[in-house]
Amino acid sequence: MPGVASDTVGNGALVPFSHDTKDSLAVYPLHHGLAPPISRLAISWSRGNSLRVSLFASPSSSSEPSRTSDDQSGGKVLEVKLGVGDPEISDSRWRQIAYGSVAPFALLQSRRSALSAMMNASSPYQMDWWEHVLEYSKDITSLLGGPKLPPSPIIEEPTDIVKQSQAWLPERLVDWLADYDSLFSSTQETVYGKLALFQKELVDIQVIEDDPRYWEVMSSALSVGWLDIVVKMLRLHGSYQQDQLSNRELENGLVEAVAVLISKTPRLCHESTIGKLGELFKSKPDFIKAWEKWRSQITKLDCSPFWIQCDNHRTREGLRNLLQIMLGNTESLCMATCYWIELYISHFLYIRPFTMGIESMYNLAQKCIQLKPPSSNHKLTGLMIGILEENTEVVLAESSREFGPWLVAHAIELLTAGSEQAEIVLHEERDNLGGISMIELHRLVYAQVLSTHALTWQIAPIYLTSCMKQGMGLLENLLYRQSVQHNDLLLKHIEICRLYQLDHISSDIMKVAGVYHWKHGHKGAGVYWLQQSQDTSRLNRIAQQLFDSVGKSISDESFKQWEGLIELLGSESKPAGGLEFLHKYRDFKKSLQQVYGGKSTDAA
Amino acid sequence: MAATAMLEPERPIVHRLPQHKYIDAVRWLPQLSPFDRFAVLATFDTDSGSSSIEIHSLKPNPLSLQSHSSFSSSSRVSSLRASQFLQKTVVAASTAAGSLHILFSDPADARFESEVSVPEEEGLHSVPGSCVDLMDGGVECVTVGEDGRVNLVSIGNSNLSYRRLFDSGGLVSYTAAKWASPVEFATGGYGFSLQWWDQRKPGGPVSQFKANWDQNFSAGIVHSIDIHPSRKHTCLAGGSLGTVFAWDLRWQQQPIMLSGAGAGAGNTGVQSISESEVWDVQYDRCIKSSATSTRILPAMICSEDGILAVIEQGEEPIELLAEPCAINSFDIDRHNPSDVICSLEWEAVAILTRQ
Repeated sequence: MPGVASDTVGNGALVPFSHDTKDSLAVYPLHHGLAPPISRLAISWSRGNSLRVSLFASPSSSSEPSRTSDDQSGGKVLEVKLGVGDPEISDSRWRQIAYGSVAPFALLQSRRSALSAMMNASSPYQMDWWEHVLEYSKDITSLLGGPKLPPSPIIEEPTDIVKQSQAWLPERLVDWLADYDSLFSSTQETVYGKLALFQKELVDIQVIEDDPRYWEVMSSALSVGWLDIVVKMLRLHGSYQQDQLSNRELENGLVEAVAVLISKTPRLCHESTIGKLGELFKSKPDFIKAWEKWRSQITKLDCSPFWIQCDNHRTREGLRNLLQIMLGNTESLCMATCYWIELYISHFLYIRPFTMGIESMYNLAQKCIQLKPPSSNHKLTGLMIGILEENTEVVLAESSREFGPWLVAHAIELLTAGSEQAEIVLHEERDNLGGISMIELHRLVYAQVLSTHALTWQIAPIYLTSCMKQGMGLLENLLYRQSVQHNDLLLKHIEICRLYQLDHISSDIMKVAGVYHWKHGHKGAGVYWLQQSQDTSRLNRIAQQLFDSVGKSISDESFKQWEGLIELLGSESKPAGGLEFLHKYRDFKKSLQQVYGGKSTDAA
Repeated sequence: MAATAMLEPERPIVHRLPQHKYIDAVRWLPQLSPFDRFAVLATFDTDSGSSSIEIHSLKPNPLSLQSHSSFSSSSRVSSLRASQFLQKTVVAASTAAGSLHILFSDPADARFESEVSVPEEEGLHSVPGSCVDLMDGGVECVTVGEDGRVNLVSIGNSNLSYRRLFDSGGLVSYTAAKWASPVEFATGGYGFSLQWWDQRKPGGPVSQFKANWDQNFSAGIVHSIDIHPSRKHTCLAGGSLGTVFAWDLRWQQQPIMLSGAGAGAGNTGVQSISESEVWDVQYDRCIKSSATSTRILPAMICSEDGILAVIEQGEEPIELLAEPCAINSFDIDRHNPSDVICSLEWEAVAILTRQ
């Protein structure tokens, strides 16, 4: 930019860009095809995170006879997208999730208003609501297919589990970890990671029981309760092979005994455990009895004299380690698991398989974290602690920070259902937020995110209308701010106004459209929109303009063109303002033609 | 409906296929082999801002659409038609920049072979909204626009020639067009107006629809027109506020209401299945109706409030789909009228098979 004084005072002061401050600034070159010098530059925000940069190049003043083909003068407008979304989820995938969550959300809101209309504070109301919430949760989680994107189930399941505090807590946690351990593999070592690695190398190993990793991986899998994997791996032991069987009978016996014990692990019955290994018990007293018996069997095996007779050192040590894990030896568990959540779950499986109160669960979690401090902060760590602590604000803050507004906006119902404390916290109106509640705040934030994209903005009204205080105001804002040059967009706006009964906005938009069309020469369209909005004052004004042009240029051929416009004005019931004269003009012309044709009529 | 021996129409089988791009329009391609089926989609990728016209092949088990061939267009497609011409498949697309593209594709492998176009500089249309209709034999197409221009484009093997049939200078805007016969076509515009044109009588529309709408009925915009080959005197139109009506050229004053907000008052037996814009209307060739019936043949509509339905004069409308998002366009396969492909607003395509 030529001649900019660095001490310009007042509006539009330019800050000189000095090379000293280069470290703190990120510099991105923009490629445009314009020939220098650039005479003007304009920057404005476009939709969402996009910047519109308009560059104007002054026409080259030098008198060059030949111009190269890529020499451009004039201007160019570039759209620069700032920032990158979640690197794990592509934009279009995110949009699909957003689309799919609209219907369950709307359903839940309508059910909520139906229930509150009934005003029942008794327990049937609670149960209904809880069922609705669970169904909603299932619908939303079904949107996130595949193991890559499970942030929602991760929140919903532990919250469900913790809230329900049922006796089959360890089973649910085991299943949960089985599904999502792979997630944690991205930041730290996990049992899943170990298994995956070992699986690859399994093919090359000849004598499997001599490989220390074999035993290590098995003990890790056992500690998190993946029994079927352990039993399968045990059966890979060399002593099962046909030619070895006669020599290693004792060894084989021991291996088989451990395998049988593992497959007989007592489990409290839960839907998902059907089909898995273990003995299933429905009631707690049966389970406790079986548990005691099972433990005594393990202890008996541990003390048996066969171990001394077994000559394979590795097998002996490995099997005994497995037994220690099953007996709940803290040290073995600590060594076998990789990070605190796995240790936590192993506690539930082998040390205390009974119900615990929320507080003791939280204390246990703290202890596990101390034993296995996380090396790096995974997204879920803070979240899990927040859930266990029953600290709603922490949960919301963590979800919002790590997973974005979509999750928070949809998970709120889940957090408030069943917990009165959470409900109060979230519904309370806060002055520091301008008098709205946390729920509304998060929904508004999500609606704003939706509005930034050309394809998702039409979903935003559904969320905005569920916000009692500021929703409608923001919806009006959204509708007014968009340009209505394209007919499709214009019709979309009018449709939304019709759905939410915003007639005043609808008529304003139609007036804008009418004037736009009129100014661009589409007189018919302009008249149509102004009629729809019943804007008689403007219709009168354009009637004046039309009247002037009618007098000058109308002829028989061009009269055909006017026919269409006159038809548009329609019957007398529609406000045509000053354009009535066109009707009269047509009638006059018709009668004149009849007179010329020799027919006798009344001339006007 | 009285219970007859006919069984109740079963729910159609619906397959929703997310496409991850916005679909502007969708059409079946004429089927030239019994094994393969193709559809043409006009898509717009919001992330990169590029539009393209793509041929997809339909894979049966599991039902999916696979992109076969694609043509990149300079701007968004506002209207799409497909037909056959000299043993080749022709796709006509008019774009928001005012240009027209005619794409030829080899019927054997359904790939785009060649393309001729009228570029935007030639000024076919000066506004983003334009509609194109291709004649059944593919020889000529008519394009109409909101700027009030009506153009006829003749398709040769390697070139296009066009002439402007009419220019209203902006006084009237046209939003829909449909061929009725090799020399006649119908157009529609604002205020539920319909015009009938005849190339043998140039200089303007031959007749205009002069409707006496009800006092309280607010007229809207016509979005789509269809004309049945056996009933060339009747013009079926669908537009704003869920209105579907027919114009019989022999009785010009009276619209025959099939659906719509203003239809209820005074008109018995007219149901309204949708209350918002009807984007596309097509005669339903699946349902057989007697040739001597004087009633309007059954037609399928798709609307902004997500309804895909078949309406018939004097009967209950049959709802085929009720989506949470708008259905922007649809096409009934000429060779298998029980198959319908439609484009959903939320970047997806739905394929229905009716029993």
